[in-house]
Amino acid sequence: MTTFLTFTILGLVLGSVYAIAASGLVLTYNTSGIFNFAHGAQAMLGTFLYWQLTYGWGLPMWLSLIIVVGLVGPAMGAALHTLIMKGLRDTADVTKIVVTVAILLGMVYLSQWIWHPEDARIMEMFFGASAKIELLGVVIRAHEIICLVVAAAIAVGLRLLFTRSRVGVVMRATVDDPDLLRLAGHNPDRVAMLSWAMGSTLAVLAGVLITPIGGGALEANQLTLLVIDAFAAAMFGRLRSIPRTFAGAIVLGMTATYVMAYFPTDWTWTGNFRVSLPMIILFVVLIVLPQDRLRVAAVRTRERYRVPSVRSAATWGGVFVAVVFLLSLLMEDSSITTFTLGMTFAIIALSLTVLTGYAGELNLAPLSFGAVATIVAFHFGVAGTGLAAHLSLWGVLLAVLVTAVVGGVVALPALRLRGLYLALATMAFGVFLSNMVLRDTTEHTLFGVTFSLFPNGTLIVPPLKVGPLDLRDPLTFLLTAAVLFALIAVGLVALRNSGYGRRLAAMKDSPAAAAMLGQNLVRLKFGVFMLSAAIAGLGGVLMAGASGSVAGDNFTIMASLGLVMLTVVGGIGYVSGALFGGLMAGVGFVIIIGTFNDLAMADPAMGTVYTSIGQLAMVATALIGMGVGKNPSGTVHDLVGSYRALRNAKPVLVGGAAAEAVLYVLALTGVIGNWWFAILTACLGMMLPVLGRMLMPAAVLGAEEAARRRSTPLELAGVEEPYTEELRRRLDRELGLPAGAAPATPRRTGFPLAAEEGDVHAVA
Amino acid sequence: MPLLETRGVTVRFGGNTAVDDVSIGVEEGAVTGLIGPNGAGKTTLFNTITGLQRPASGTVLLDGADITRLAPARRAHLGMARTFQRLELFLSLSVRDNIRVAGDILRANTRRRIDVDEETDRVMERTGLTDIAHLEMSDVPTGRARVVEVARALMTSPRVLLLDEPASGQTEQETEAFARLLSGLADEGLAVCLVEHDLPLVMRLCSTVHVLDYGAVIASGTPKEIQESPEVIAAYIGTEEVTA
Ligand SMILES: Nc1ncnc2c1ncn2[C@@H]1O[C@H](COP(=O)(O)OP(=O)(O)OP(=O)(O)O)[C@@H](O)[C@H]1O
Ligand SMILES: [Mg+2]
Repeated sequence: MTTFLTFTILGLVLGSVYAIAASGLVLTYNTSGIFNFAHGAQAMLGTFLYWQLTYGWGLPMWLSLIIVVGLVGPAMGAALHTLIMKGLRDTADVTKIVVTVAILLGMVYLSQWIWHPEDARIMEMFFGASAKIELLGVVIRAHEIICLVVAAAIAVGLRLLFTRSRVGVVMRATVDDPDLLRLAGHNPDRVAMLSWAMGSTLAVLAGVLITPIGGGALEANQLTLLVIDAFAAAMFGRLRSIPRTFAGAIVLGMTATYVMAYFPTDWTWTGNFRVSLPMIILFVVLIVLPQDRLRVAAVRTRERYRVPSVRSAATWGGVFVAVVFLLSLLMEDSSITTFTLGMTFAIIALSLTVLTGYAGELNLAPLSFGAVATIVAFHFGVAGTGLAAHLSLWGVLLAVLVTAVVGGVVALPALRLRGLYLALATMAFGVFLSNMVLRDTTEHTLFGVTFSLFPNGTLIVPPLKVGPLDLRDPLTFLLTAAVLFALIAVGLVALRNSGYGRRLAAMKDSPAAAAMLGQNLVRLKFGVFMLSAAIAGLGGVLMAGASGSVAGDNFTIMASLGLVMLTVVGGIGYVSGALFGGLMAGVGFVIIIGTFNDLAMADPAMGTVYTSIGQLAMVATALIGMGVGKNPSGTVHDLVGSYRALRNAKPVLVGGAAAEAVLYVLALTGVIGNWWFAILTACLGMMLPVLGRMLMPAAVLGAEEAARRRSTPLELAGVEEPYTEELRRRLDRELGLPAGAAPATPRRTGFPLAAEEGDVHAVA
Repeated sequence: MPLLETRGVTVRFGGNTAVDDVSIGVEEGAVTGLIGPNGAGKTTLFNTITGLQRPASGTVLLDGADITRLAPARRAHLGMARTFQRLELFLSLSVRDNIRVAGDILRANTRRRIDVDEETDRVMERTGLTDIAHLEMSDVPTGRARVVEVARALMTSPRVLLLDEPASGQTEQETEAFARLLSGLADEGLAVCLVEHDLPLVMRLCSTVHVLDYGAVIASGTPKEIQESPEVIAAYIGTEEVTA
C-alpha cells in the first residue's frame, strides 16, 4: 500500500511538471496559432542557464530563480515573438512548424557550444533531497511539494486569467480573428507577445523543476524532448483546453511511474517503454480523437513554387549525373564516399519534396523510416558472407515495401486530422523508434524466436550488388546514387505534372475545395505518405550501405529535424531543394566541423577560435532556418528565379560556363586545389545573375523593367520626369485602370500627376 | 419534389444561432435565390448543405435521400457542387489546371470515366475562360476568378450547384455574361441555388427566392412577392434597396 501511495505521489509530481510545460505550449498555440516545437528547447536553455548561475557561478538559488524564471523566461518569449513569430502570418503551417524546429535546433547547437555535452552536470532538489515530510508512511520531499503547489497555483492563475481578466478573454479570441480584435481597439500583437512571454516562462519553470526529479543529470537532448511529453498531455485537450491538458498531464505522469513500479524490472523493455510512454499515449489519443472539421477560408499563404516540365527536369537530371561524374574525377576515394553519403541523404530528402512540397503534409522523422528499412535489409537482405557479403535487390525491395507499410500505419491515426497532428505523430514515432527499436540491442525470446532488432547497437550493412552492378566500388556507388537521385527526382516532377500531382496540389492549397470536388482526402494523404516513406526507406538503405555500419545515433530525431529544416531552407517545392538539404544535412555539417577541427589541430594557438567558428556555423544554419519565415519558398527558388531571368542573356551564360570549364580544368590538372575550386565555383554561381543584370540589363530584366529601374518611383512620376504618353500607360497599368480609361489629354488640375504631356520637370 | 431540400436545419456557434430552423427547397431546372443581410447565415447554411458544418438539428435531403451525415466528398459524388464566398482556388495551379483537377478528382474517386482534357476545354469554352487558360491564379482578377470557381464546379457535371456571391467583384459586362451562363445552365435542368447581394440579378434570374434574417427564413416566394413583402422591406431598411 505504501509503495502504491509513494508511486502515486511521484506520478502526481511528474504529472504536475508536465502540466506546467504543457499549459505553456497550449497557451502560445492558442494565441498565436503557432505550435512551438522549441518549447522543450526553451526549457533546456533556461535550465542550463539556471545551472550555470547556481552551480557554475555560485549565485544564491533564489537570485538565480528570479533571473531565469522572472527575467530570462519572459524576455526569451517576447524576443521570439518580436523577432520571428510575428513575421509568420500568412505562411503555410509547414513553414511555421519548420521555423520553430529551426529554433529548437539553434538552441540545441547553442547549448552544446556553450556547455560541452560530455561534461556531467547535476542539479539537486530544492532544499536538498533530505528536506522531506512523512505522511501515512510515505516520504514526500520539499521539492516535490513545491512542484505540486506551483502547478496548482498555475492552474488557478490561468483559470482566473481566462475567465476574469480582459486580457485573458482577448487572448482566447486572438487566433480566431485578429482583424476583428484590431477593429475593437485591441492590439493582437501585444496579446500574442504576452502569451509568448508566459509560455516561455512556464517552459523554463518546468525545466528547472523536472531535472532534479529525473535524477538530476542535466542533458540537453532529453530536456529538449520535454516538448513531446508536453504535447502528449495537451492532446487530451485537443491542444485547446487547459483543464483537460492538466488532466492529461497527470494521467501521463502517473502511468509513467506505475510502469516503473509494477512492470518486471528484469524485462529489458521496461525502461525503454517508460520513456516511450508519451508517444504511445499520443497515438492512442490520436485514434480516439474525432475527425477535424474542414476549414474554409484558409489563409492565403506566401509560398510559391514553379513546376518544371518533365522534359526540362529530364535534361537537368542528365546534366546533374554528368556533373557528378566530372566532380568525382577531382576526388579521392574517401571524399567520394562522403559525397555518396550526401547523395543518399538527398534521396531521403526527396521523400520530403513529394510529401511536404507537393502534398503539404509533414514528416519530422524521415531518418526513422530510413532506419526501419535498414533494419529490414540487415535482417533479410544480406547475401553472402565475409568479403562477398552484399545486399540483394530483393532485400532492398522488401525493405522499401515494409517501410511503406510502416509509414502507412504510423500516419493513419493522424490523417483524419490537421497537418500538425501528422507532424506530431511522426516526431513521436521517431523518438519511439530511437527509444524502443534502436535500443533493442540484446537478444531476447518472444513467441519462441530468439532475436534482437538492433544487435549490439551497430548494424554492418554491406552495399548492394545486382548482377554486374557492384556498389562496393566507391565510384560505382556514387554514380548509382546520383542516377537514382536523378531518376526519382524526374519521376517526382512527372508525378507533379500528372493528374495525381494536381490532386496533391489541390489538397495542399484548399482541402475544403478539394473535398467539395469529391476528393477523399484521407486516402490521398495515406497514399502519398506511403510513397514518401518508401523513398525515405530506399535512401536509408543506401545511406547505411554507404556508411558501411550504422548505429542508433545515425537516426536520431535531431538529425531528422536538421534534414527537414535544411530541405525547407533549400526549397521544399523543388527536387533541387532536396539535393541542397540532403547534401548539407548528410555531409555539410560534418565537413564544416571537420574542416575547422583540422584547422584547430594545425594551429593550436588559434584552436579555440577555429572550433568556435565551426560551432557558430551550426548555429548559423539554424538561423537560416528561422529565416524561412521571411523567405518561405526557399533559396533554390530565388536562385532558379535569377537564372531564369538570364535565359535571354546568352552571352553571359556562355561566359559563365566557359569560366567554370576553365576552373574545372585547373582543378583537374592540380593547378588549384579542390577547396579553391569549390569556393570559386560558388562565387561564380552567385555572381553570374548579378553580372548579367549589370552587363545586359535589357535582356535580363526585360526592356520595360529595365526602363522602370532606371526611372523614378511611381509616386514621383510627372514630378521628377516628364509626363509622357508612355508614362501614362504605365500609371494605368499600375493602378489597374482599363486601357484608355483616362482621357487622352490629361486635364489640367494643378496636381502634378496630371501635368501636361511634355511638361518637363513640373516640380510641385 | 425539390432535388435538394433542408428540413428544420439549425446551426449554433456557442450560444449564437446562425441558422434557425431553416426549411427550403432547390428545384431542378431553375435558379433559387437565397438573400439576406450580412451575417444572416447564408454561408453557414451552404456549409451545412455541403457537409463542412454539422447542424445541431435538422436534415439535408438530396433527391429524397438523407445526406445529413455524409462527408463532403460523398456529397460531391452524388452530384453536389459549390463555389466559395472567400475564394478557395488552388493557387499553385494555373487557371486551366484549377478546372482540370476537378476532372482528375472525378476519375480517381468515382467510376465515372471522362476524357479530362476534352471536358476541360469544353467547360472553359462555355464559361469563356479560354483566353486566360495559362495564367497563374494569382494574376486573375477577382471577377474572373469567381468564374473559374464556377467552371471548376461544372467539371464535376453536378446536379445541384450552390453559388455563394458569385457576382461580387465582377464588372457589369462580366455579370451580364454570367447571368446568361446561369440561365443556360438552369434551362439544361441543373438545380442552381444563388446567394447574392446583387438584388437586380437575383430578381431577374430566380424563379423562387428565400430571404434569411438572423438565421431564420422570413419570406419565400417569387421575386415579385418578395419585393412587396413588408418583412423583407423591414429587414433591409437602411441596408439596401430591395426594389430592382
Ligand atoms: N465558424 C464560426 N464560428 C462562430 N460564428 C460563426 C462562424 N461562422 C459564422 N459565424 C456567425 O454566424 C452568423 C452567420 O454567418 P454567415 O457567414 O453564414 O452569414 P452570411 O449570411 O453568409 O453573411 P454575408 O452576407 O456577410 O456573407 C454570423 O453571425 C457569423 O458571425
Ligand atoms: Mg456569406
